[in-house]
Amino acid sequence: MLKIIIPTIMLMPLTWLSKKNMIWINTTTYSLLISLISLSLLNQPSNNSLNFSLMFFSDPLSAPLLVLTTWLLPLMLMASQHHLSKEPLIRKKLYITMLTMLQTFLIMTFTATELISFYILFEATLVPTLIIITRWGNQTERLNAGLYFLFYTLMGSLPLLVALISIQNLTGSLNFLLIQYWNQALPNSWSNIFLWLACMMAFMVKMPLYGLHLWLPKAHVEAPIAGSMVLAAILLKLGGYGMLRITTMLNPQTSFMAYPFLMLSLWGMIMTSSICLRQTDLKSLIAYSSVSHMALVIVAVLIQTPWSYMGATALMIAHGLTSSMLFCLANSNYERTHSRTMILARGLQTLLPLMAAWWLLASLTNLALPPSINLIGELFVVMSSFSWSNITIILMGANITITALYSLYMLITTQRGKYTHHINSIKPSFTRENALMALHMTPLLLLSLNPKIILGFTY
Amino acid sequence: MNPLIFTTILMTVLLGTMIVMMSSHWLMIWIGFEMNLLAIIPILMKKYNPRTMEASTKYFLTQATASMLLMMAIIINLMHSGQWTITKVFNPTASIIMTSALAMKLGLTPFHFWVPEVTQGISLTSGLILLTWQKLAPMSILYQISPSINLNILLTMAVLSILVGGWGGLNQTQLRKIMAYSSIAHMGWMTAVLVYSPTLTMLNMLIYIMMTLTMFMLFIQSSSTTTLSLSHTWNKTPLTTTLILITLLSMGGLPPLSGFMPKWMIIQELTKNSSIILPTLMAIMALLNLYFYMRLTYSTSLTMFPSTNNMKMKWQFETKQITLLPPLIVMSSLLLPLTPMLSILD
Repeated sequence: MLKIIIPTIMLMPLTWLSKKNMIWINTTTYSLLISLISLSLLNQPSNNSLNFSLMFFSDPLSAPLLVLTTWLLPLMLMASQHHLSKEPLIRKKLYITMLTMLQTFLIMTFTATELISFYILFEATLVPTLIIITRWGNQTERLNAGLYFLFYTLMGSLPLLVALISIQNLTGSLNFLLIQYWNQALPNSWSNIFLWLACMMAFMVKMPLYGLHLWLPKAHVEAPIAGSMVLAAILLKLGGYGMLRITTMLNPQTSFMAYPFLMLSLWGMIMTSSICLRQTDLKSLIAYSSVSHMALVIVAVLIQTPWSYMGATALMIAHGLTSSMLFCLANSNYERTHSRTMILARGLQTLLPLMAAWWLLASLTNLALPPSINLIGELFVVMSSFSWSNITIILMGANITITALYSLYMLITTQRGKYTHHINSIKPSFTRENALMALHMTPLLLLSLNPKIILGFTY
Repeated sequence: MNPLIFTTILMTVLLGTMIVMMSSHWLMIWIGFEMNLLAIIPILMKKYNPRTMEASTKYFLTQATASMLLMMAIIINLMHSGQWTITKVFNPTASIIMTSALAMKLGLTPFHFWVPEVTQGISLTSGLILLTWQKLAPMSILYQISPSINLNILLTMAVLSILVGGWGGLNQTQLRKIMAYSSIAHMGWMTAVLVYSPTLTMLNMLIYIMMTLTMFMLFIQSSSTTTLSLSHTWNKTPLTTTLILITLLSMGGLPPLSGFMPKWMIIQELTKNSSIILPTLMAIMALLNLYFYMRLTYSTSLTMFPSTNNMKMKWQFETKQITLLPPLIVMSSLLLPLTPMLSILD
C-alpha cells in the first residue's frame, strides 16, 4: 500500500517546487499515474484481503473505493483550474496541498487495518476539508457551513472513540484482520445498546442519515468545486465503509437496533427526493439527491444480507462518480453565470450541445437507467429490502419515481427550451471541461460491462 | 527593569519551583511555593499601571490563601503521621484540604475565578510564565500525593473545570482571557486522570505547555492581544496565520495533530478503569473549547474581514526574532505518530 501512499505524499513537494506554468500539469499527470497504480488492487482472486501488512490492507470492499479516491484527485485538479486562475501562485499551491493532504488521509483511511487508526484518519480528513470549504468557498454562508460540518461530525464521532477503546479492552485487539475471525456475539444489555449507538452514530452523521443531514446541503453548496466533488464522492462513502466494517462486530443487536434508523432512512429518502423537486439552487438539488441515494445505502447496510451488501457497494461507487459529475456540470454553469439558480441558465442545449450530451448522460445515470451500475446498486437494494419486508417496495418504488422526476426536471430546466437572452454570450465549453466529463463517464459506462469488481466482498 | 535584578528575580522563580519539585520535606515545599509567589509578583508587574497592580494583588491573595491552606494540611498530616516526609497523606481531612489548596493554585473550578482576570491584566510574556511555568509546581505535588487523593472531589473539580473552561471562553474576544479559559479546561483534563495514571497527567502537562508556549509566542510575535488585532496578521506575516490555525486546531484536540494524543490516552485510561460516561462527557465538552478556537481561526486565517485601506498598510517594525518558535510549532502539531513511544514513560 505504500506504493500508493508515498507517491501521494510526494505530490506535496512536487506542488511546492514546480514552476508557475507547470503546477497543474505536474500534479494532474502524477495523480493520474498514481490512480493507475491503484487499479491493480482490483484484481482480487479470492475473498480474503490482499496486499496486507500489519497496518494496511485492501479487500474487495475497499479496493473500489480506493480506486475511486485516487481517480478523483486528477479530476478535482482539472475542475479547479478555472476558479483558481486569478489567485496568486502560493494560494494555488496551498489549495493543491490541501487536496493532496486530504487524498493521503483518505487513502490511509480506506486501507487501515486497525480501527483506531481508521478513526484517527477519519477525523483527520475533516481538517483539510474544513479549510477548503471555509477558505475557498464563495459566499458568507461558508463559515456557518464549515462549523456545521465540523461539529456535527465531531459530536457523532467522539462516542465512537470511546466505544472503540472499550471494544479494545473487551476483545484485546482492534485489528480488523483478527476481529473477523474470532468475532463473538454481543450479549443483549443496556450498555451494549449504547455501545451499538456510539459505534454507529458517527457513520450515520457522515452518510448522512435523514435527521442528521443538516450539514450536507450547507457544506456541499458552499464548498468550491473540488470540495463539493470530494465531499459527495468520497467523504460520504467513508460513512458507508465504516458502517460496513463495524457492523461485523455488532451482531446480533443490529436486528432490533436498526429499526429506528431504517424507518428514518426509508422515510428520509422520499422526503429528500421530494425536496429536490422544489429546489431553485442547482447545487442544493444535487446535494439533497446525495442524501436520498445515501439513505438507500443505509437501508442496505442495516438489512445485512449478501445481496444488500452488494447493492450498497455498487451504489456507493456509482453514486460517487455520478454525483461528482453532476457537481462538475453545475460548476461549469456557475463559472459562466456566477449564479447557482437553475432558471438563470436554461436552454443550454442550443448554446453548448456537447455539454448537453454530458448533462443527458449524467441525469440518466442519476435516475438509475439500465444498464448502468446505478441501476445494479438500486435494484439489489430494492430486492433485498423487499425480501426483508414486502411493504418497503411501495416506498422504494415511490423513491425511484421521484428520483426520475427531479433528474429529468433538472435536465429539462437547464438544457431544453428557449435559452434566455442574457446568456447568449457565454464562453463555449473548454476542452478541459469536456475531458473532465468524459473521465467521469467512461468508468461509469465501462463498469456496466463488468460490474463484479464493484460488488464488494459478498459476490 | 535593571537586567541584573530581572535575572535574579527570574532565577528565584525558577529556584522556587525547583525546590517544590525536588524536596522531600513538607516545609521546604511550602517555602518553595512562597519563594515562587513572592518572586513572580515583580515579574507580573513589569509594566507599572493600575491594571497590573490589580492583577498582581489578586494573584497574590489567592496564592497566599492557597499556601496557608497547604500549610494547614501539612500540619494536620504531621499530627496524624508524626513525620514531615512527603509520601502519601495520612488523613482524609488533610487530603481534602491539600487538594483544595493545590486546586486553588492551579485554577481548577470552583477556584478558577482568578485565572482570567489575572491573565488579562498582565503582559503577554508574564501571562506565558503564569500559565505554563506556574502550573508545574502544584502539579508535581499532586503527582506525589496522588494515591491518597479523594476521587470524588478531584473528578468533580475536573469535570466542572472542563465545563467552565469551555463555556467561559465562549464570550471572549481578548486573547489572554481565551488562553486563561483554555488553561482551566486543560487543567481539568489533567486532573481527571491523575488518580488512574499520573504518567498521563505529566504527558498532558508536557503537550499543553508546548502548545500554550507556541500560542503565546505567536501572539507575542504579532503583538496582538485582541481578536481584532490578531485578524491583521495576514498583513504583517502571512505565514503566522497558518501556524495559528494549526496550533489552535491542535489545542482543540483534533486528530492528526499532537493535541489529540493526551485526550486519546486519557480517554483510553479512563475507559480501562470502567468509567465510560465520564470520558464521553469530557470529550463532548471539549468541543466547546474547539468552538471558540474555530472562531479565532475564522477571523485570523480563513477569512479576511472587511478592513479599511489604512489597515492594509501597517507600520513594519523590525521583526521580532523568536528562536524557539519553529521547533515548538513542529512539536505542538506533529507529535501524534510518536504515540507508541509513550511506553518509555512507564
